[in-house]
Amino acid sequence: MSLSIFSVQLLTGLAYGMLYFMIAAGLTIILGVMNIVNLAHGTLFLLGSYMAFTFMNQQFSFWIALLLSVAVTAVIGIIIEKLFIRQIYGKELEQVLLTFGLAFVIADTAKWIWGTEPQTMAVPALLDSSISIGPMVFPFYRLFVVLIGCLLALLLWYFESKTRIGAIIRAGVDDRAMVSALGINVGVVFTGVFAFGAGLAALSGVLGGPLIGMYTGMESDILVTSLIVVVIGGLGSWKGSFIGAILIGLIETFGKIWFPSLSMLIVFLLMVVVLIIRPQGLFGREVA
Amino acid sequence: MVGKGKFWSVLFITIMLILSGCSGSAVSNSKSNSSGEKDTIKIGVILSSTGTFAPLAESIKNGFNLYLEENDNKLGGKKVEIKFEDDEANPQVALRKYRQLVKNEKVDILVGPISSAVAYALRDEVEKDKIILIDANAAGNDLSWSKKSDYIYRLSFSNWQNGSSAGEYLAKNVGKTAVAIAPDYPAGKEVVSAFKEAFEAAGGKVVKEIYPKLGTNDFATYLTDVAQVKPELVFTFMAGSDGIRFVQQYNDFGLKGKIPLSGPMEFGDQLILEPTGEAAEGIISGILYSPWLENEENKKFVEAYQEKYGKLPNTFSVGGYDSAKVIDIAIKEAGSTNAEDLIKVLKGISFDSPRGPITIDPKTNNPIQNFYIAKNTKKDNQIVPEVLETVEKVTMPEKAPAN
Repeated sequence: MSLSIFSVQLLTGLAYGMLYFMIAAGLTIILGVMNIVNLAHGTLFLLGSYMAFTFMNQQFSFWIALLLSVAVTAVIGIIIEKLFIRQIYGKELEQVLLTFGLAFVIADTAKWIWGTEPQTMAVPALLDSSISIGPMVFPFYRLFVVLIGCLLALLLWYFESKTRIGAIIRAGVDDRAMVSALGINVGVVFTGVFAFGAGLAALSGVLGGPLIGMYTGMESDILVTSLIVVVIGGLGSWKGSFIGAILIGLIETFGKIWFPSLSMLIVFLLMVVVLIIRPQGLFGREVA
Repeated sequence: MVGKGKFWSVLFITIMLILSGCSGSAVSNSKSNSSGEKDTIKIGVILSSTGTFAPLAESIKNGFNLYLEENDNKLGGKKVEIKFEDDEANPQVALRKYRQLVKNEKVDILVGPISSAVAYALRDEVEKDKIILIDANAAGNDLSWSKKSDYIYRLSFSNWQNGSSAGEYLAKNVGKTAVAIAPDYPAGKEVVSAFKEAFEAAGGKVVKEIYPKLGTNDFATYLTDVAQVKPELVFTFMAGSDGIRFVQQYNDFGLKGKIPLSGPMEFGDQLILEPTGEAAEGIISGILYSPWLENEENKKFVEAYQEKYGKLPNTFSVGGYDSAKVIDIAIKEAGSTNAEDLIKVLKGISFDSPRGPITIDPKTNNPIQNFYIAKNTKKDNQIVPEVLETVEKVTMPEKAPAN
C-alpha cells in the first residue's frame, strides 16, 4: 500500500471515527452522569440530520441549518428529560422500555414527516473542494469533520477540568446525594446534560449528512456502533469514547481493505478483546 | 457509578432487538366488509415496508393504488378488497404473513415481494396452494430459470436484464476496460455477471470486480482502488442509500469527469437522481423507465401520479402500477379469477405500460421490454436521464448462460 493511499484511508477512518465520537460522547456522558442508557439517542441523530435537510431546503445555509437543528434537538432533549425520563430515575427496566419506545415513536414520526426515500445533503460550498495527496484526492469536508471532532474533545476536556459546571458534573457522577446536599440543583444539571447530549447527537447527524446521508433504519445502525464505542471506551468516559470511536473508525476503514467481508465482525471482535483484557473498557473505572 | 450488570442486560436486549429486526409496524389497511360475493376479489400485497427497501415498497404501493383509483377500485370488473402486509425483507416473516393472507384472509391473488430471498421462500407455497403471485419487484434470475413457476409472473425486470442492457453500448462507445462494483449479495453478483457477459461479448474486458458489503457507508477504499487501476469506465450496481452515497463520493473523490461512471437502471432512476443532483450528471445507465419517456401511457401516468402524490414516479411505481394493470387485463381476458384460467392468459400477455410495450415471455415468465441507454443531463436545473439509444425487446435467455 502506497503512502498516499494509506493517508487517504487514515483520514477517512478518522473522519468516521469523529462522527462516532460525537454521538457516543453524548451517549456516554448521559450514561455517566444520569445513569441512563438512552436508547433513543440514535433517533436524535436522525432528527438532527433530517431537520438540517429541511432547513437547507428552505434556503438556509448549511451553517445556519446546523445551528438551528442542534438547538431544536437540544430543546427536544429537554422536553424528553422533563416529561418522561424525570419520572423514572433509578428504575432501570422502565428506562429501557421508555427510551426504546421513544426510539420507535421518533423514528416513525420522522418516517411520516420525511418519507422513506433516502436523502442526502450537499457539502457546504465553503468546504466543497479537495486536496491532493500524491496521485489521490481527498475531500476537504472530511478534514473539517476531523477538525470539529478534535475541537469537541478539547472543549469537553476544558469543560470538565476547568469549569465549575464540570466540577459539579464530576462530583455528581461520584456521589449524587452529596452534590444535592451541597445545595446544587441536580435536576437542572441532569436536564442540561441530557440536552447537551441530544445536541451532540444532532451535530453528528448534520455533519454526517453529506457523508452517510439519511435513510430509514439509520438510527439503529448508528446506535449499535455508538454502544460499541461506549463499551470499548468505558462506560461514562468521554475520553474513552474518543479513543474507542477513532479505533472503530480506523478498523472499519482498514478492515475493508484487508478483510473485505469481515469488517463488521472485526469491530465486534475488538469489543470482545477489550472486554476480556479490560472488562471496564479502556478508560472505565473499576466498579464494585 | 454505573452498575455493570444493568448495562449488560440493557445492551444485550438492545442488540438482540435490533439484530432480530423487531420493527413490527404492520401496515395493513383492510377495506371493510368482507363478503363472499363473487363480484369482489381479495388481493394480498406483501412488501418490505420497513428497513432499506421501504422507499421501493412505498413506490410500488403508490403505483398500485393509483391504478385502482383510476379504475374505481375495480380490477377485471370486480371490486377489489386489498390487504397490505410488511415482510420486513425477512423470508420467515413473509411466510407467516403469507399464511395469514392465504389461510385466514383467503386472498385470491398475491402481489409482491421486494426481496428475491422472500420470493424464493414463497415460491413453493404458491405452487402448493395454487395462488397466482404477481411479482412487482423481486429480480432474482432463478425465478425465470431453475425456480420458474406457472404461478409466478414478473412485472418488473430481472437482474440479468438490468445488468446486461448497457453492456454492449458501453463497450462500443465508452471504453474497453471496466471495473465492476456491486454489493456483496446475490443480486449484486447476478447483475455484474450479466454485465460482464454482455460487455465482454462486445469486445470489452472487466479487469476487476469489487464487492463491498451491503449497506457500506464509505467507498473511499474502493474508489482509491479504482483510481489506481485506471479503467476506461466504472460499472456500478448500487441501490437506495448505498447508491446515493456512491454517486456522491465518486464526485467527492475526484473521479467524476475522469473515469466515466455507468450502471444499471438504478443510476438513472428518480430515487437516486433526486437526492444526488449534480453529482449524478454524466452517468450512463441502462434504464427501463423514466418520467420523461415519450409515450401516451406515460404522459397520462406521470400527470396522475404527480397530482396524487406530489412527486415524480420512479421505476418501482411503474412496477406497482403495471402489477395492478396486468391483474385487471388478465381477469377480463380470462373471464375468471381462477388461477388455472389466469395462467392461460398471463403467459404471453401484452399491454402498453408507461415504460413502453411489454410482453410476458412464457418461456421465462419475465417481461420482454425495451431498455434505454440514458445519460444523466442537466436540463432546467434538474438532472434528467436523456435517452441516447433504445435497446429493443430485451429478452431473458431461457436458461442460465453456461459459464
